[in-house]
Amino acid sequence: MQSLGPKADGGRPLFLPLSVVLLAGASLAILPRFVSNPYALHLMVLFFLSVITGSAWNLIGGYGGQYSVGHAAYFGIGAYTVLVLLQSHQVAPWWGILPALALAVAVALVVGGITFRLRGPYFVLASIAVAEIIRLTALNWKDLTNGAEGILVTDMPSLVIGGAVITRFLSKVPFYYSGLALALAVVLVSLFVERSKLGYYLQAIREDQDAASSLGIPLTRYKNIALALSAFFTAWAGALYALYVGFIDPPSGIGLDISVQIVLTAIIGGIGTVLGPPVGALVLVALSESLRSNLITDLLVKSGLVAESSKTGVFLRENLAHAHMLIYGLLVALVILFMPEGVVGALRAAARRVRRRASARGEAP
Amino acid sequence: MTLFLQALLSGVLIGGAYALIGIGLTIVFGVMRIINFAHGDLVMMGMYLAYFLFTIFGIDPYLSIFVVYPAMWCFGALLQKLVVNRVLDALPQNQILLTIGIGLILSNTAMLLFTSDYRILSTPYSSSSIALGGVSVSAPLLGSFLITSAVTAVLYWFLMRTDMGQAIRATAQDREAAQLMGINVRWMSVVATGIGAGLAAVAGALLAPTYYVFPQVGQPFTLKAFVVVVLGGMGSVLGATVGGILIGVTESLGAIYVSSGLKDLVVYLLFLAILVFRPSGLFGRSRA
Repeated sequence: MQSLGPKADGGRPLFLPLSVVLLAGASLAILPRFVSNPYALHLMVLFFLSVITGSAWNLIGGYGGQYSVGHAAYFGIGAYTVLVLLQSHQVAPWWGILPALALAVAVALVVGGITFRLRGPYFVLASIAVAEIIRLTALNWKDLTNGAEGILVTDMPSLVIGGAVITRFLSKVPFYYSGLALALAVVLVSLFVERSKLGYYLQAIREDQDAASSLGIPLTRYKNIALALSAFFTAWAGALYALYVGFIDPPSGIGLDISVQIVLTAIIGGIGTVLGPPVGALVLVALSESLRSNLITDLLVKSGLVAESSKTGVFLRENLAHAHMLIYGLLVALVILFMPEGVVGALRAAARRVRRRASARGEAP
Repeated sequence: MTLFLQALLSGVLIGGAYALIGIGLTIVFGVMRIINFAHGDLVMMGMYLAYFLFTIFGIDPYLSIFVVYPAMWCFGALLQKLVVNRVLDALPQNQILLTIGIGLILSNTAMLLFTSDYRILSTPYSSSSIALGGVSVSAPLLGSFLITSAVTAVLYWFLMRTDMGQAIRATAQDREAAQLMGINVRWMSVVATGIGAGLAAVAGALLAPTYYVFPQVGQPFTLKAFVVVVLGGMGSVLGATVGGILIGVTESLGAIYVSSGLKDLVVYLLFLAILVFRPSGLFGRSRA
């Protein structure tokens, strides 16, 4: 298990991971100069959104061990607040995001106050119930949210600063940069939280709540801080997603599937690590998009395993695209059964084994 | 008053099915302390089984339970042996995620095999109703309620009177003590999961004549089963029975006196209130 406090050598190093993150951010920032393929940019936006939500969930779920399966609540609050303000009150989204984030944090504090006294499966069930309550509210409050029909963005204003038009949001590029900036922000926040008092307290709570409490850690306060931080970024991702797609309805904004996808991103990568959610996002986006775009069917056909015109070929082409959640299910089952610490955990364990073998052979690392 | 009675009665009738689903979930939880998030998808499988038995072989959905129960018992037992058994000692969160994964696999496989079309199992009695003292009752709902009651009675007899039933209850009460008494707790886990899956699928088969059958039909049942089980007290069979009826009635009254769109909202609010104020449920021992 992870260590509970700072290591004897004065805590975890910050310089190396920080420079890696900034370097990755810088190289991603210049990527649109070389890649203009809209589909590639689209994939990157999906990847960033997945990194943001996965890392945000990781703050409370991974470090704090409070498995919320209701994060779609905050995602939906962000998405709906911004779109309602934009469509009904012509509030530009960069202003609309402020009340959206405030609302998400407020809801998180109320929800935390109620549900954090529950433990284990009871907390999980309560988090699902909260998300369902918010989804049903959105579905039934038709005057505000347009009910099941959802809200379509018809008029996205241009971002103008000091008379200069920064962007008209016509291409995917502005969303690419917004997503990248937010993804970098949440990864950096994770990096700092991991090394802060908050992070150590959360990990203590995750390992043993009663022991943490008896050491004087105020459980509810620190869980609430982590949940508020997590809800903040999740709501921001929701707003970004809704603006990017230009549409939101209750299932795509607050459905249980959204909550599950958010949790799976972190679980598959490896919870309680900074690197986990980005790795999970990479795996999930790559896999589910290759299914959706029929890449896997194409591969099977090209490799001669399945004939294009055969019954199986036609069946796969018609149906596999809709079954990307099947891959999520298979992946999470495999990860829980065979590598409960996620991809990152498994890679670390492999690296340790290699190092141990090397040092056993006398080739000191 | 007639309206109230009507709502009350149809609430009780649909509550019977919720109770059956909830009992399956609570037995599995009692024996293994695992919350099965794929439970509603087992209901879905029962619905599809009943649908195909009816459309291909012409077997009445009410009779199909004699095929559905053993088939899904085996499926549940196999699932326990091959998959769930491996995580008995894992973190509760990981167990939950595993069952969520299983649920996704089941519902998406159903979508691959049967497409996401809504199917209707229409029997001659699907839309007929019976007048009971001024209150009209949907015939298939009444039929499924009667069968549900019979199944529940048999289950009580099994749990209370047979050796294996007592062994299951002993395992649920204290796994280690049961093991010391010579009970094969591993086998009891397999049996309990089989029973849970079988009951869920039977409920699905009984609901099939009154519901649309489609791959995602299970998810709301999973959530409702949690509400039923938490309301009754996790692990309590009696609690799940009463809880199921209570939830059916709450839903039905909520649909009439609040609004039909908000009936589920009422149920979830009730659920949260129970979790917060009485997490041990109506019939459960405190464990939270």
